[in-house]
Amino acid sequence: MSSNQLLEGLIPIAEGASRSLHVRDVDKSFGGVRALQSCTFDVSARKITALIGPNGSGKTTAFNCISGFYVPDRGAVMLGDRKISGWSPSRIVHQRVARTFQITRVFKRMSVLENMVVPVRRTGLKAMFWDGIQGHERARAERLLEFVGLSHFIDSEAGHLSFGQQKLLELAAALMAEPEIMLLDEPSGGLNPIMIDRLAGYIRELNQLGVTFLIVEHNMGFVMRLADDVVVLHQGSVISHGRPAEVRADPAVLEAYLGN
Amino acid sequence: MSARRVLAIAWPVLPLVILVALPFNGLNGYLLALLYYTFTYAAMSVGWNIIGGYTGYISLANLGFFGLGSYVAGLMLTHLGWPILLTSPLVGIICALVAAAIGWVALRTRGPSFVIVTLAFTFIVQFLALNLKGITGGSAGLYLPLLTMDPLLLGDLFYYYMLGVLVLAIAVAIGIRRSRFGLGLIAIREDEGKAEGSGVNTSLFKIVAFMISAWFAAVAGAIHAQYLNYVDPDLAFELIIMLYMIVMTLLGSRGTVWGPVLGAFLLFPLQESLVYWVPPAIAGEVHLALLGVVLVLVARFMPNGLLVTVQNLIGRPPPPRWEPVPVVAGEPTPARAGRDE
Repeated sequence: MSSNQLLEGLIPIAEGASRSLHVRDVDKSFGGVRALQSCTFDVSARKITALIGPNGSGKTTAFNCISGFYVPDRGAVMLGDRKISGWSPSRIVHQRVARTFQITRVFKRMSVLENMVVPVRRTGLKAMFWDGIQGHERARAERLLEFVGLSHFIDSEAGHLSFGQQKLLELAAALMAEPEIMLLDEPSGGLNPIMIDRLAGYIRELNQLGVTFLIVEHNMGFVMRLADDVVVLHQGSVISHGRPAEVRADPAVLEAYLGN
Repeated sequence: MSARRVLAIAWPVLPLVILVALPFNGLNGYLLALLYYTFTYAAMSVGWNIIGGYTGYISLANLGFFGLGSYVAGLMLTHLGWPILLTSPLVGIICALVAAAIGWVALRTRGPSFVIVTLAFTFIVQFLALNLKGITGGSAGLYLPLLTMDPLLLGDLFYYYMLGVLVLAIAVAIGIRRSRFGLGLIAIREDEGKAEGSGVNTSLFKIVAFMISAWFAAVAGAIHAQYLNYVDPDLAFELIIMLYMIVMTLLGSRGTVWGPVLGAFLLFPLQESLVYWVPPAIAGEVHLALLGVVLVLVARFMPNGLLVTVQNLIGRPPPPRWEPVPVVAGEPTPARAGRDE
């Protein structure tokens, strides 16, 4: 089965229905450390946007503000025209904004299938307290696992997968929530070059289906190859924003990375 | 459906039939009482396991709910004349609502902080029971009217009542384990931040788990008050009750449906039988020491509990050694690598 056939109907994003993500004047401090200062950038719908910057520039803080793990001290995060800053992470996931973590986090003592089913977007008392894993959910999980090459392991304990496989499982599980926007925190971290190629392939295919990506990444080759837009953070503020080639040539970016 | 699958689902029917039939075969009063206590502890341990095992939050508030259930049921009986055997589900609901309020605050903490907050709740309820003398009778306690029925049948009544509560507890535990709610609870236990980031409303799930857990403790407390015809702050909030719930669950296997039942059916009869083995004068101390010894042995040699340890030894194959996913170099679409096409 081809990739497009595998993903057909799994990521239902209607043409023109995607929403953009807007980060507006966000401040976030931890004690005396100002992790974000008037941070403003946009993540355009159906595009791959990379968020880069030196260590400590505030990338993961921005990510956590978007995904609801932190509440901004000031400013707002907008999904389309809806303010989502201050919402709980689970509520944001139900708005079809899914995320992965910098350090891979899977439920290690749960099976791969159970890992897949946890993020399913369903509410209602009957669904919550009565239904187990439904046939169509298992079928969906099987197709997504096949997409990332893990279908053999569906009934295995997730903790027995290799690190790279756990990364792929995290990606596939996030896709169970039918995300419109995916936030990937250092997806290539710790992966070998072959795995990185595979991951880039998956992201590109999903993006072609209409999934918007915001990727925090240190691997510049990976970023420049994939991203439509690049946002550069330095000391909590955006110092550059544009196409990869433009950003690469920006003196402010070179200075932030290399110093004077 | 294969015979093995039928057996896996239907096996509890046999012990249940035996337990239902036992009183008809001249079970003496002592054994009836022993089994009544075992059912009570088993039901409370299964209830505790929902918050302590499935969700991973070690609650000491269940003792508070046990005592609160005893008092609420006792007060309803003495002031309103409502019979405890009928009101115990309502008492459970009242205590579950209290658990929702307590959980809303307490479940914002984790680990040792949660343990301390829940212990504080138990002490506060005990303190109130001791000091609101006009309502609770203070340290003198509440004397409850005796049930008006044949004393020979009373033992059977409590036996069957608690057996019913235990069956309900097990059914609820199985239902939760199979539901999306249960999956969410286990996800919380494994990694709460990840669960929240996966769309699990962790605050709501934890509070509901806490409420269900409290319901079983409160119902057991209510029935026990009627069983003793008496409630006082020492009996209703005796720390050993909480210790039993935890040790029984850990011994059997925390986070499993049957572990707490197994732990209760092993530990309670064992500690009761101590009176035959050791001089009565020191039996009380020895049974406390036994709990400590069991706890240490479980922590040292069977951290997963008896059930999981035995399952690992006899039932389950060792974890598979994964072959690397095959990748064809130069494949045009990397996404296809490793698929079983």
